[in-house]
Amino acid sequence: MFATKRRLSVAALAVVAGLVTATACASTDEPTGQKETDKDEFVVGYSQSNNAEPYRAQLNIQLEYFVKKYPKLKLMPITDAQQDSGKQVSQVQNFITNNVDVLIVSPNESAPLTPVVDKACEKKIPVIILDRSVNTDCYSSFIGGDNVEAGRKAGELAAKELPDGGNVVVLQGILSNQPQIDRLKGFEEGIKSNPKIKILKKREAKWLKPDATRITSQWLSQKLDIDLVYAENDPMALGAYQAAAAAGKEKDIKFIGTDGLAIPDGGIRAVQQGKLTGTFIYPTGAEEAAKAANDLAAGKTVEKKQVLPIDAVTSDNAAELYKKYDFSGRS
Amino acid sequence: MSEPTRDSSGPGTELPTLVQNQPRERWARVLAAPGSLQGYIGLALVVIAGIATKGTTFLDQGNLTNAVGAFASRGILAIGQTLVILAAGIDLSVGSMLALASMASAMMLARADMPPLLILPLCMVVGAAMGFVNGAGTTWLRIQPFVMTLATLSIFRGIDRHISDNVSVGTEIVTESGELSPHSEQFQLFGTPGRNLFEGVLGAGVYYPVLAFVVVAIVFHLVLTKTRFGRHIYAVGGNETAARLSGVNVAAVRIAVFTLCGMLAGFAGPIDAAYSSQADPQAGQMYELDAIAACVIGGAALQGGRGSMVGTFVGALILTLLDNVLGLNAVSDNMQLIIKGCIVVVAVVLQRPDLISSAVATVRRLVRPAS
Repeated sequence: MFATKRRLSVAALAVVAGLVTATACASTDEPTGQKETDKDEFVVGYSQSNNAEPYRAQLNIQLEYFVKKYPKLKLMPITDAQQDSGKQVSQVQNFITNNVDVLIVSPNESAPLTPVVDKACEKKIPVIILDRSVNTDCYSSFIGGDNVEAGRKAGELAAKELPDGGNVVVLQGILSNQPQIDRLKGFEEGIKSNPKIKILKKREAKWLKPDATRITSQWLSQKLDIDLVYAENDPMALGAYQAAAAAGKEKDIKFIGTDGLAIPDGGIRAVQQGKLTGTFIYPTGAEEAAKAANDLAAGKTVEKKQVLPIDAVTSDNAAELYKKYDFSGRS
Repeated sequence: MSEPTRDSSGPGTELPTLVQNQPRERWARVLAAPGSLQGYIGLALVVIAGIATKGTTFLDQGNLTNAVGAFASRGILAIGQTLVILAAGIDLSVGSMLALASMASAMMLARADMPPLLILPLCMVVGAAMGFVNGAGTTWLRIQPFVMTLATLSIFRGIDRHISDNVSVGTEIVTESGELSPHSEQFQLFGTPGRNLFEGVLGAGVYYPVLAFVVVAIVFHLVLTKTRFGRHIYAVGGNETAARLSGVNVAAVRIAVFTLCGMLAGFAGPIDAAYSSQADPQAGQMYELDAIAACVIGGAALQGGRGSMVGTFVGALILTLLDNVLGLNAVSDNMQLIIKGCIVVVAVVLQRPDLISSAVATVRRLVRPAS
């Protein structure tokens, strides 16, 4: 009895969902192709892996801003998977059920998201993969930065800042994260040009500022002779700076970060304040994603892989770059 | 003074205060009150390990201050947690409460430029209000503390992420001249390593989190040992029925411990924000586990009624110094997790004399036929 009731209610829900979908995107019998161009509105669904990181929060703000530049695009509320791949799969599935016209996904992890991206592809929904990859070719466009490149540029800057060689310590993100692995690989390649540079220590600070402060103060307690700290993101670089400032050594050590967010406690400001020697803007790809979504909705093809350039932030260009990437007052 | 009737079925449920007027037992009482002996042995072992492997580096005042300071906000959470655990509850939401209070403090500073001496009590009120919700839910709605605080862990984190829009809020407010604003400068005193109080009086000085942690521990040690309220907490945790029959207002005690626990989380919030010079919407995750571990290592029993503030203080010190010793020796985080977990197990087993004696008996039985 109970089971029947439940089945009935599920069926009822499915009918309602079907109706809603049908009314929301009328005439979706032919999901892609030139015919869609005469539609007035294209619904875009964006699945974010985790809102609670400043970088990703910034990405959301930028995406909302850039999508508004295209009057025909309508962005559904951004879903937040909160670092949970299972949750993200079901959220993407909901977008597919709702028959969105374009799907944008920033995968939390590659493997778990692959089947659902394939499913969207089967239903002829164009998919844009933002930032992290999936293990299938069945998507319309990949947009993202190159973490190896970001690391390599940081390594080259370190080599330049320490012409006579010196001791470098590295604060790593979560060890299993692909950006961590790639940024470290790139950094090690980047400093090779100067064989007098030595990596003294590497430790996992989990992308977090307090962890970086704690670890750096332990290093300083051990009287390690540190000339430069490379942190794989800006919060960790600032945490290291804080520990060094506490020990009165902030002037003897150089700090290099990555991310380059234009927010008050982000990396660009820190470069302006002289706390960081440099940082690298790891592009969010929001602008490119909005453009690609518009093109795909209009039935155009877009480049399959867009690797975005990494901008170096130095004290010379920090003010100008802050202005360029500051989205706080824009809408 | 009404001494609550107590159930003496469990080990160690007697109150230290019950043995009074016996001068010879006084020292035993003093030693017993601060928790278990193995706590001190554990602390001594950690310190010896530190000195043996890193010597003067470990003992350096700067190192110890940094180590304790990095753990202080979790230590303060452990103190509140002890109150709740002694009353046979548990509070899983302390990490979320800390995060919300830290976010509130940063927003009051950054958006409203409020003076830190106003922010701190306001955060404690915010924390107390959250703790009251936990207390009311467990007492009036009769939801198990584990479930109630599991729910509020999620609710408070959600509010934290919502009000902050998932963006961290910096507490280092720079004025046009490039210097910290006066309020921000004061606020940073709450937690920034290197900004010391009593400089010159106590050598290189100690910084605020260390001081706050110690003072809070002393205050609540006195509350537990010297006040009627303190005895009521033990009574409620030891045997609720007996406590009620002897006239203890069990509901009020329950709500009070949760409220105090929340208030302490609210106090720890600004410290945590100042330590990392930003309020991170992700701050304080898993802090509840560190707080509970400190209580357990310090001899608190999760079934309530047994434990002490000094025990928790020692437990927190063991965790923080262990963290430091392992860090100085560059032990990987993965190994650190394993070691900390093992220490919790050992600490709990050592608190079970019955388990140890039965193990000894089993060994004897196994040995006897052979001989």
